Amino acid sequence: MIKKKGQFNFVWLFAIFAGATILVLAIYGAINAGNSMRFQTDTEIAKSISIISDPLQAGFSEGSFGKILFKQETRINNFCFDGEFGKHTISVSTKSDIGEEWKTPGEPVPIHNKYIFSSESNSGKEYYVFSKPFEFPYKIADLIFLTPERYCFLNAPDEIVEEIEGMNILNIETENCTSEDAIRVCFGSGSDCDVKVRGSCLSGCKSIYDFGSVEKSGSQMDYVGNLMYAAIFSDKGIYDCNVQRLMYRTGMIAKGLIDKADLMDARNCNTNLKIDLIYWNSATINATVNDLNGLHSIAKNLEKKNEGELCRLWN
Amino acid sequence: MELRKINRGQMEIQQMAFMILAVFLFFILVGLFFLGIQFKDIKKNVAQLQTEQAISSLKVIADMPELNYDSHESMTLDEDKLRIMSGNLGTYYSEFWPVASVKVYKIYPKFNERVKCPALNCNYFEIYDNGQESMKTYSTYVSICKKVKETGYIYDRCEVGKLVVGVITNEAKK
Repeated sequence: MIKKKGQFNFVWLFAIFAGATILVLAIYGAINAGNSMRFQTDTEIAKSISIISDPLQAGFSEGSFGKILFKQETRINNFCFDGEFGKHTISVSTKSDIGEEWKTPGEPVPIHNKYIFSSESNSGKEYYVFSKPFEFPYKIADLIFLTPERYCFLNAPDEIVEEIEGMNILNIETENCTSEDAIRVCFGSGSDCDVKVRGSCLSGCKSIYDFGSVEKSGSQMDYVGNLMYAAIFSDKGIYDCNVQRLMYRTGMIAKGLIDKADLMDARNCNTNLKIDLIYWNSATINATVNDLNGLHSIAKNLEKKNEGELCRLWN
Repeated sequence: MELRKINRGQMEIQQMAFMILAVFLFFILVGLFFLGIQFKDIKKNVAQLQTEQAISSLKVIADMPELNYDSHESMTLDEDKLRIMSGNLGTYYSEFWPVASVKVYKIYPKFNERVKCPALNCNYFEIYDNGQESMKTYSTYVSICKKVKETGYIYDRCEVGKLVVGVITNEAKK
C-alpha cells in the first residue's frame, strides 16, 4: 500500500495546528487565571486595609500610629467622592516581575465612614498609618493619614514635636533629619522646603499653628486643628473632598445635638446652645475648605459657651 | 481502491476531530473544576472579611460622635443620641454603616420585656437595619448614659447595655 505524501502531511499539519491551538488557549487561560487571582488578591488587600485601619483610629486617645507591611511593592489608589457623607474608594495593585509592572488594580472597595488622607496614588512596601481626632468644636471623626513617604519637620513648635515623639511616629523626624529622601516640611520660614506650614492664630490659641494654611506643590490648603497633618500628607483633591465630607458630618452632628438639647430641656437639664447650633448647622452643612478659617472663630465661641453650661451638650 | 483510500483519510480526520474535541472538553472540565474551587475560595474570603469588618466596627461604632456619650471615654453611649439616631436622623446615615445592622439593648437594670424606642420606658434602640433576612451578629457590652438633674444636682446616670452589629452577607436586600 502506497501512502500519498499529501495525505500524511495533511494529518500531521492538522495535528500540529490543533496542538498549537490547544497550547495557545492553555497559555491564554493560565495567564487569565493568574490575572483574575491577582485581581482577587488585590481586592482582598483593599478590603483588609479598610478593616485594619479600624483599630488604628484614634478613638478617645490623642492619636495612634501603626505600620502596614506588604510582601511586595503595592500601589494604593485612593479616590474621594464628596456629596453629603461622601465616600472613599480604595483599590490596590501589586507590582509584578513578569509582563506589565503594574496591572489593572483590583475592585475598588467603598468606605463611607472613614476620612483617609493620602496621595491619590502611591506605592511602597511599607505604609505608615496614623490617626488624629478632628474636633470642630465637638468630636467629628478620626482622621487617618496613610503614606509610604518619610517626612522631616523643620522648625516645628514644641507641642507638635512632643506630639510626634509621644506617638512614636516612625516616618516623621524632627530637626537633624537622617533620611535624605525625606519630604521637607518647614514650619514658618525655611529654605529648600517641599511643604510650608503657616500658622495664623494670634490670640486665644494653644499654638500659632491652631489654624493657618499649608503650601504644597504650588497649591494652598487652609486648615484648622489636626487638619494640618491632613494637608501635609494628602493631595489637594483628596483634602478638599474630605474637608467637604467632614463639614457635612459636622452639620449632621449639630442636627443631632439640637434634638439632644430638646430632650435635655424636657428633664430640666437646660441648655442655651440651641440657637447657636441651629446657626452652626446651616453654616457647616454645605461648607467647603474655603470657609474653614471663618468657621474657626464660631467654633471657638461655641466651645466656650458649652464649657460654661451646667448641662453640657458634649464633653 | 481509490474510494477505500479516501474513506480511510476521512476516518482519520474524524478520529482526529473527536480526539481534539475530547482534549478540549477535558481542558474545559479542568477549567471549570479550577473555577469552582476559586469561587468557593472567594465566597469564603468575602464572608471572613465581612465578619472581621463587623467585629472591628464594634469599637468604631461605639466611639462615633453620633452615639458616643463622652469623647474622652470609650464604649460609652449617649441615651439621648440613641433615641435621636433610632428616629428620623438615623435615616440620613443609611449608607454610612459598614455593617448590616446596628442595635442597642439595655440589659441592666433587668427588663421584663423588650420595648422598642421611641416609646415610654423603652429599652431597645434599632439604629440601622439593611433588611437582610439571615443575620450573624456580634456584640459588646457598653455603658448607656444620660445627664440628669435631680434635686438641683446634675449627674451622669448610666445603665449597662449591649451593642449588637450584624454581618453583611451576599443575600439580596428586602
